[in-house]
Amino acid sequence: MASADKPINTDVPEKDVFALHFLQSLSNLRRQNTFNSPEKTNDRVKKIKKAAYVSMARAAGGTNRLWSRALLRRAAKENNKIVRFPRRKKRVTCLRRRSNRRDPVEEEEAERLRNLVPGGGGMGTSKLMEETAHYIKCLSMQVKVMQCLVDGLAPK
Amino acid sequence: MDNELFMNTELPPPSEMAMHFEQPSSSSAMLNWALMDPNLARNSPPQDCFMWEKSTEQQQQQQSIFDSALSSLVSSPTPSNSNFSGGGGDGFIIRELIGKLGNIGNTSGDIYGAPMNGNVSRSASCYATPMSSPPPMMNRTAPLTEFSGDPGFAERAAKFSCFGSRSFNGRTNSGIPVNNGKIVNSGKLTRVSSTPALKALASPEFASASRPMIPAGDSTPKLPGEFSRKRKSVSKGKSKENPLPAASPSPSFSKTAERKEVSEEKGGKRRREDEGDEEEGNKGTNDTKPPEPPKDYIHVRARRGQATDSHSLAERVRREKIGERMKLLQDLVPGCNKVTGKALMLDEIINYVQSLQRQVEFLSMKLSSVNDTRLEFNVDALVSKDAMISSSGSRVHESGLRLESLSHHNYNNNSQLHTNVSSNNMMLHSPMKSLEPSALARGFTHLPTLTQFTDTISQYQMFSEEDLQSIVGMGVAHNPNHESQSQNMKIEL
Repeated sequence: MASADKPINTDVPEKDVFALHFLQSLSNLRRQNTFNSPEKTNDRVKKIKKAAYVSMARAAGGTNRLWSRALLRRAAKENNKIVRFPRRKKRVTCLRRRSNRRDPVEEEEAERLRNLVPGGGGMGTSKLMEETAHYIKCLSMQVKVMQCLVDGLAPK
Repeated sequence: MDNELFMNTELPPPSEMAMHFEQPSSSSAMLNWALMDPNLARNSPPQDCFMWEKSTEQQQQQQSIFDSALSSLVSSPTPSNSNFSGGGGDGFIIRELIGKLGNIGNTSGDIYGAPMNGNVSRSASCYATPMSSPPPMMNRTAPLTEFSGDPGFAERAAKFSCFGSRSFNGRTNSGIPVNNGKIVNSGKLTRVSSTPALKALASPEFASASRPMIPAGDSTPKLPGEFSRKRKSVSKGKSKENPLPAASPSPSFSKTAERKEVSEEKGGKRRREDEGDEEEGNKGTNDTKPPEPPKDYIHVRARRGQATDSHSLAERVRREKIGERMKLLQDLVPGCNKVTGKALMLDEIINYVQSLQRQVEFLSMKLSSVNDTRLEFNVDALVSKDAMISSSGSRVHESGLRLESLSHHNYNNNSQLHTNVSSNNMMLHSPMKSLEPSALARGFTHLPTLTQFTDTISQYQMFSEEDLQSIVGMGVAHNPNHESQSQNMKIEL
């Protein structure tokens, strides 16, 4: 039975928070010695991308959002670090229920969306929608921030 | 509720009941049963709500009918004193027992709390009236015919009459062995008479099964036997009597009795189950009964024509939830408003997310290309600034001010910057006019706080890249870079 519904909260912090976090992570990147070697462009792109995502996750969700948790966890895993997040109340890990009654096309689409949204694998459909909404907001913010940076730093 | 009913009919001290049933003439016993019948009928609908999810309107209707009948009965004169006192005593005992029983019917107790008392008083009045005059007869038949006239009821009653005893047998499996003998006894009786006897058997067993609290007399296995014997005699009288005065009501009597019994059985079983999972029971009551829903659950009601079983209700809630969030997403994703259908909308959302992700990738690529050309040499400055930023947390204005003070520190333009602090927000649109040297201009560039940062992007496009003052439009986000760059240049110079 559905428990008492919380209002759907997809509030996202202001853009400057994203900007700050992103700049911070960028500067952290630049501090690394390997980052500045000119031959590894691909590597750098990857790193910046990762920095963008991680900083976005930090800025927006922290550990409160499923997608940001998943992102941070993944990032930490790549760095071979073991992180422990504060536990959420109750998480149902396997929610992919199959039902004949549901629209198969819809389910397929939801499945695709699950693969796109970090941490979407363990979400039910309604939760997935909520997280997607938040994720989209954050992503668009991040894109704006990055766009600003690129524009500002464009070669003269 | 059903327990209480049993109390009404069986559990009170046998002597009283015996007196009650044996003392009147056969016709009055008949009357007695008939009069108790409305009571039974009145009691059974709530269980029906449990079992059949029968609408409450019917119950209401019946209630109103019986109310009118009973009120006329009560108002009719000359209740005999002894009977009345007996009835009163019954009521008292019943009330007491009900109080003890309260714990069992957790789910139903609060809902049925009000009817109980009324019921007791009514049963008392029923006990009281048998000695009264014929007018009640008239009144009595009316509800009964009405009752039997109800097609749904007739159908149900027919169902029950065929398996009433069998279901009882089924119950003895789980129950106490004592009952087996009595069933044989009751099997000898006719159907009409057997049902009260069955009830007599059923009640103690039921009571003992469902709760430890039993009146001392009933706990011994013999007493139910007494019951049955006494009841038999009564019911025999009744069965003899039945065909004579009212042929049509008699089947309905038996049927109501049987029906009630079966429903009680089921109700009892259900209740026992419900003690384990009250949730479901609560939900069941929620779905059908508007009054006093528990606060913990969402009150879901099926509209007309919608399925009412718990699965479809849950499914509907889920779908509503998803739809709600879909709407939310629809507002976020551009071009999603034109699309109809969930699948298409999801498709659109997926595309949008993908495009955003690709954009991030593309921009990070761009950034990486930018990085090596222009930003490499001022890493240190950036780091220091970022440290400042991070220390100030995510407070935007604060960090802006920090930056300002930092730049102020860098350029040693105390007086200028102080004025800038005061005119912080106004500076944006016409900063160049007040500024003369480039260094100062750079100092000013830090003034627009980060909140304005994105607002000024469009402005930024207006300025030419070569113009130094265009930095103003770009805001803080990349200002640290520029600033540090200029700082570095300064140092180099």
